[in-house]
Parts: sequence; structure tokens; C-alpha cells
Amino acid sequence: MIEIDHVSKSYNKGAVRAVDDLTLTVPPGEIFGFLGPNGAGKTTTIKLIVGILKPDQGTIRIAGLDNQADALRTKAMTAYVPDEPEIYERLKGIEYLNFMGDVYGVSGRDRRERIGYWLEAFELSHAVASPIQTYSHGMRQKIILTAALMVRPRVLVLDEPMVGLDPRSSHLLKEAMREHCAKGGTLFFSTHIMEVAERLCDRLAIIHKGRLAACGTMAELRDQAKDKVSLENIFLELTES
Amino acid sequence: MSPTAALVKAALNSNFGWSVIRHRLFIEKRDRWLVPLIALAVVGVVPTLVLYVRLLNAGFDMLKSIGQEKALLTLAILAGQLVILVFGLFYLIATFYFSTDLEYLISLPLKPSQIMLSKFAVVLVNEYLTIAPLILPILLVYGFRKPGKPDYWILMPLTYLLLPVIPLAAAGLAVIGMMRVVNIGRKKDLLIVIGSLVLIGAAFFLQFGLSRAAGTSSPDAQKIMAMIASPNGLVQSIGRRFPPSIWATRLLDDGLFSGAGLAGFILFAGLSVLLYGGLVAGAQRLFFGGLMGLSERSGVSGRRAKAVGKIRLTSGRHPVKAIFLREFRLMNRTPIFLLNGVLGVLMVPVIFALMPSSGSPGDDTSDIIRLITSAKPVTGALAMTIFMVLCATLSGVASSSFSREGHKFWISKAIPVDYRQQVLAKFLHSMAIAMLGIASATAVLVFRFHLGAGKWLPCLALALPVTAFLTCVNLAIDLARPLLDWISPQKAMKQNLNVLIAMLLDLGFLFLLGLAFLGLGKFGLSLTAVVSIMFGLALGLAGISCCFLLKFALRRYPSIEA
Repeated sequence: MIEIDHVSKSYNKGAVRAVDDLTLTVPPGEIFGFLGPNGAGKTTTIKLIVGILKPDQGTIRIAGLDNQADALRTKAMTAYVPDEPEIYERLKGIEYLNFMGDVYGVSGRDRRERIGYWLEAFELSHAVASPIQTYSHGMRQKIILTAALMVRPRVLVLDEPMVGLDPRSSHLLKEAMREHCAKGGTLFFSTHIMEVAERLCDRLAIIHKGRLAACGTMAELRDQAKDKVSLENIFLELTES
Repeated sequence: MSPTAALVKAALNSNFGWSVIRHRLFIEKRDRWLVPLIALAVVGVVPTLVLYVRLLNAGFDMLKSIGQEKALLTLAILAGQLVILVFGLFYLIATFYFSTDLEYLISLPLKPSQIMLSKFAVVLVNEYLTIAPLILPILLVYGFRKPGKPDYWILMPLTYLLLPVIPLAAAGLAVIGMMRVVNIGRKKDLLIVIGSLVLIGAAFFLQFGLSRAAGTSSPDAQKIMAMIASPNGLVQSIGRRFPPSIWATRLLDDGLFSGAGLAGFILFAGLSVLLYGGLVAGAQRLFFGGLMGLSERSGVSGRRAKAVGKIRLTSGRHPVKAIFLREFRLMNRTPIFLLNGVLGVLMVPVIFALMPSSGSPGDDTSDIIRLITSAKPVTGALAMTIFMVLCATLSGVASSSFSREGHKFWISKAIPVDYRQQVLAKFLHSMAIAMLGIASATAVLVFRFHLGAGKWLPCLALALPVTAFLTCVNLAIDLARPLLDWISPQKAMKQNLNVLIAMLLDLGFLFLLGLAFLGLGKFGLSLTAVVSIMFGLALGLAGISCCFLLKFALRRYPSIEA
């Protein structure tokens, strides 16, 4: 479970309020989609959840533990995929996976089984012994996803995970997301693709100018909007300045 | 504004971070503590500058007494151009081919020469700043000491502005030529390797050249008399192998209104324009060709493809070991980090060892060093210890440890590894590189200077805790304000203010260590006693600094916004 409680984060000594008094709860077993226009505060929220940023106010709890006070324990149960696949280009794919396996304490047996499965699924086996600098954008995204899925975390946090993925890999990822939640895991992901959000998510939140504009199931969001045709229309209506 | 001017302005702004500095100081109102620190550093340089000017004045007097004061100008220009030629080569390679903005720039409607010019301007301005403390005092002292030439003050800035153009344009031509002729766009690391070999070759050449020059200066009264008798004898002798320094000397000393001065100006400015023009023309034809290959990685080859079952998977590696390995691999596989970090600590002692090796057969400096270490053991031990510590710590490995992570720092923030363990792994990695430097320095002392174990072993024992202490200090400096936003790895190490701050602090500490060491020696204590006391002190400092560093990591890591 992810519990975001009155969290605020600002930059430039308060001049830019990226996240403003955000309160959200994401229970286990639920695919939670996080939407918002560019600069609305999605990535900042995600970085706050995974502990890359420190909130100015409020608390974030992962499985009941404060992610600042119990940072190591919350990080151990969380895997994160950033929006930009910035990883160690000078390492080989397999070295990166081994590194993540080592720091997350994944056993050799589990590592072999899970890495093997995901490399085959993402058609990355042929590339894994090569340096990451030889990978395309999509391949880098896949190696980060492989690392995240290898860990089998309780909480999966994905920032724009479909960007750069081919349709097959995108489909596989959606299946993996469903399976993760079916097994009781928590999933928080941001996206700009309304169709994906509409079809995949159990619940959605829309953030605008750092504040929560709406939160609920598709049906609940439709009830809040005048134009109830599609998520895109609801999104546009809620994020109009 | 023309596209070229806009590009140059953007490149300079991006390199020096003016907009970022303005934003941080005046909008975000942070990093203001840096202003008094920089002012303090500038004030701290004043005594050294005063000493340097005094030295130059004495040199001027000495040269004037034999009518050869012009040679001071020749020396200044030659030294400046040689420094730029050797170090500019690397800088150009890094800026021309390793900047991450290049692929974006290629897509803009700009000529190759415009892109090259913007990159060249960045290097040029950096070189003006680099050689300023070395060259400007010489030019100013000469101007003040030889009055009666008002046009000197107009020609002097002009000469200074032209000074880096010849060596940089020559190095630039070599770089774009190498890049294109060898067609190594897809293997740009090879360029760095070639560049480093050239640099090492140049360093050896300079050492041998200087040694040979010293060797040939053995008393040959006739030659010396002939050199002094001619007003340009010494100038010719110094600048013979690099005539632009002679041309610039003529320009500055004789002025534009004399035949010799005008000829000097035409030759000096002409060669600068010619080489720069050649570089622009070369860039137009060759620069894009080399650049195009940058995005074409070698790709995933079939030969390397392995079945998943055959892939080497590890398990149960301790996080400290995993992070140490990561640091080790990233440093060794990034040519600029490897050359500055590892090769630097290995080569500096070797170059030092070669310096005295080519003198006259009966005049071996190792004999003198052995004599000093026997006659004044405390001074000798201090010198050896400082030599070891300098070889170990001045590489900038520790003081750029966090900065080198750059935009990938988010990984260190997201992984479930205690910040103290992460810093410990970085400490161990920095120490491992430092040990290479100490080992290299010790090898030089043993094999080149033939010093016995009784002499170098106590120094080694003392150098180890001192190095550990300085490594902790250097890591703390970089942790305090890591430079994570860079587009060229060169910036993370060579243009990182943290490396400079750490270097100054290290030198300051070694100065204090030297004072304490000699002070204890003056009390009449034996060398063993002095080394033992200093060892205890250094060990204590290393322990305290290590504890402080680990505590600091817990406090600082969470607030670094990756």
C-alpha cells in the first residue's frame, strides 16, 4: 500500500510548488494510474514515493512504513522505473542486472529464473552481454523493466513505462502489471496515453498544478465531469486553466 | 544575433553555467556561501602571486644584466603555447566528440564549421583562463620593467588573445583528422586512447627535451659568449624549435613600427589565421563525418550474443562489493575517467623518475637524493611521504566520486543500500586508486633512486593514513556539492570546482604536515620517533574523518536532488 498524506514539495525556495498538499492512497491489488499535463507534478510525486526526493511537508508510507524514517526497508520493497532510461551506459546489460540483483538481495536461483524469463519475453537475450551504450532507447527501457520485475517488489512505481516500447513489449508489460496486482502487489504508474489508462487502471488520479484535480474509478471520474464521453475529455476538462 | 554568435553564446553559457549561477545566486538564493569562499581563495593566491612576481623581477634583472631580457617574453609565450598544445589536445577531443549535445546540434540547420567554432570558443576561453596566472604576470612585469614603449600595452593583449590560437588550431586539426582518417566514429574511445598516447609521448618528449637542454648546457664558454653577444641570442636559442615564440617576442619588443616587429606580427598573426582557417575548412569537410558516427554504436553483435543459460549470473554479493565493482567498472570503461584517474596516478611518478635520468652519466640525481636522505633523514622522509601522498591523492578520483555519477545518481538514491555503505564503497574504490599511486611512487623510489627499505618503508607507513584522511576529506567535499549536471565527462573531473578545492585543501594540509614534521625533527627526536608520532596523528585523523564522512553521508544524501 502507498499512502501519501498531505505531501508538498516546492523548488526554488518555495517559488515553484511542484506538489501541493497531495493526499492519496493506493491499496494493494490495484492498478493505479496517475495522469496530468506536462509539469503538473507527476514525476516529482513519483520521485517522492521512491525516496529520490524529500518532501517539504507531509509523509509517505509504503506498507505502513514512513519512506523517510524507514528508507531502507521501504526501498527494499519498491522497484522504480524512471521516465528517462538513464542508466550506467558503460556496464553490460547483465552487469546492470547483477548489480540490481545484488543490492536488492535476489538469490542466484531466482535471478536466473526471472532474468531468463524477462530477457526472453523482451527479446533482449542476444543483447544482454553487450554494453548498455550500444542499446536503443527501447532496449534501455526494457533492461530497466527487467531489473524492476526481477526484484518482484511489493510496490512497483513506473513513470511513463510505455514510452519507447514496441507494441509487443508494451503488451507484455501490461500483462506483467496485471499479474503483479493480481498477486497482491501495489502498482503506481504515470502515463500520457489515455487509452492505456482507461483500459488498464482500476483507479485513476489527475494532478494539475501540483494539486489533486480528481481521483477515483473511471465511473467516479465520469460522474465528476460534464463531458462524460472519454477519459481524454474528462482530462481536458479538469486540467483547463 | 547571427546563428554563429547565438551558438557561441549558448555554448559559453552552458559551459560556464552563467545562467545557472545567476539563477542559484539571485533567484533560488542558494550557493551564496560560495561567493566569500571564492573571494577567500583569490585572496589566498595573492601571496603566491607576489612571490611569482618577485621571482620574475629577479629573472628580468638577471637577464637584463646580460642584455637578454627579451628572452623572458620568449619563455612566457613558449611555455604558454606548449601547455596549451599538450593539454588542449585532450580538451578538444572531449569537447568536439564527447559532449552529449552534439547529436542535438547536428540536427539543427547549422554548418559543421559553426558547431566546431562554438566548441572551439569554449576551449579557447578556458585556455585564456588556464594560462592567465602563468603568463599574464610575465607580460605585465616585462611591460612595467621596460618602459618607453606605449604600443606594448596595445600589442600585449593582442598577443595574449592570439597566443592559444596556433597550438589549439594545430591540435584541433590533428583531432578532426584523426577522427575522420581512422574513421572511428563508432569507436570514439579509441580516439581518447590515441590522444592519451600522444599526450604521454609529448610528456616524455618534453622531459627528455628539457633534460637534453640541461645536458647540452655544460660549460661551453665559446657558445655561451656567442649567445650573450647577440641581442637575440637567448631568444633564438629558446625559440629555435618553436619560431612563433620568436615572432611574438619581436612583435612585443620592437613594436609594429619597426621592420622586425611588423614581420613578427605578420608571421605570428598570419600563422594563427592560417591554422584557424585550415581548422574551419577542415571542419566543414571532416567534422560532421566524424560526428555522424557518434550515434552509430557498434550495436549488438552476433558474436557476443549469448544464450541466457550461459550468461554469468552472480548471487549474494555484498552491496559494498557490488557498488565497489560498479565504481571500478565505470571508471575503467570511461576513457576520460580512466586517463585522469588511473593513468594519472601511475604516470606522474614515472615522468618524475625520468626527469633526472638523462643528465650526464656522472651526474645522476639519484645520488644526490640518496645523499639528502642520509644527511637530513627527517627532511628526506618528509619529502618521500609527501611525494607518495601527492601521487595518491591529486588525481581527483575521490573529489569527483559523486559528481561522476551525473544524471545516474537517481539509482544511488533509489536502491535499498545504506548511504554509509555506498560511501564506504566509494572510499574503498578511491583508496584502491590511491594505492596504485603510492605503489607507483614507491617503485620509483626503490628502482629509480635505489633507496633501501629502511628509508621508504616508514614513509609508506605514514603515507597510508595520511592518504586515507585526505581521501575522506576529498569525498566529503564532493558529497557536499556534487556536480551532477554535466554533458561531457571531462567536466565531471577536470572542470569540477570540487577537484580544485580538494587539491588546495590537500596541499594546505600537506604544508601543515610538513611544518609539524620538521618541527618535531628540530626537537631532536629521532626519525623513528617523528614518524611514529605523525603516524599516530594521521591514523587518528583518518579514523575521525572516516566517522565524520559516514555521518555526513546520512545527513547529505537525502537532500541531494537527483
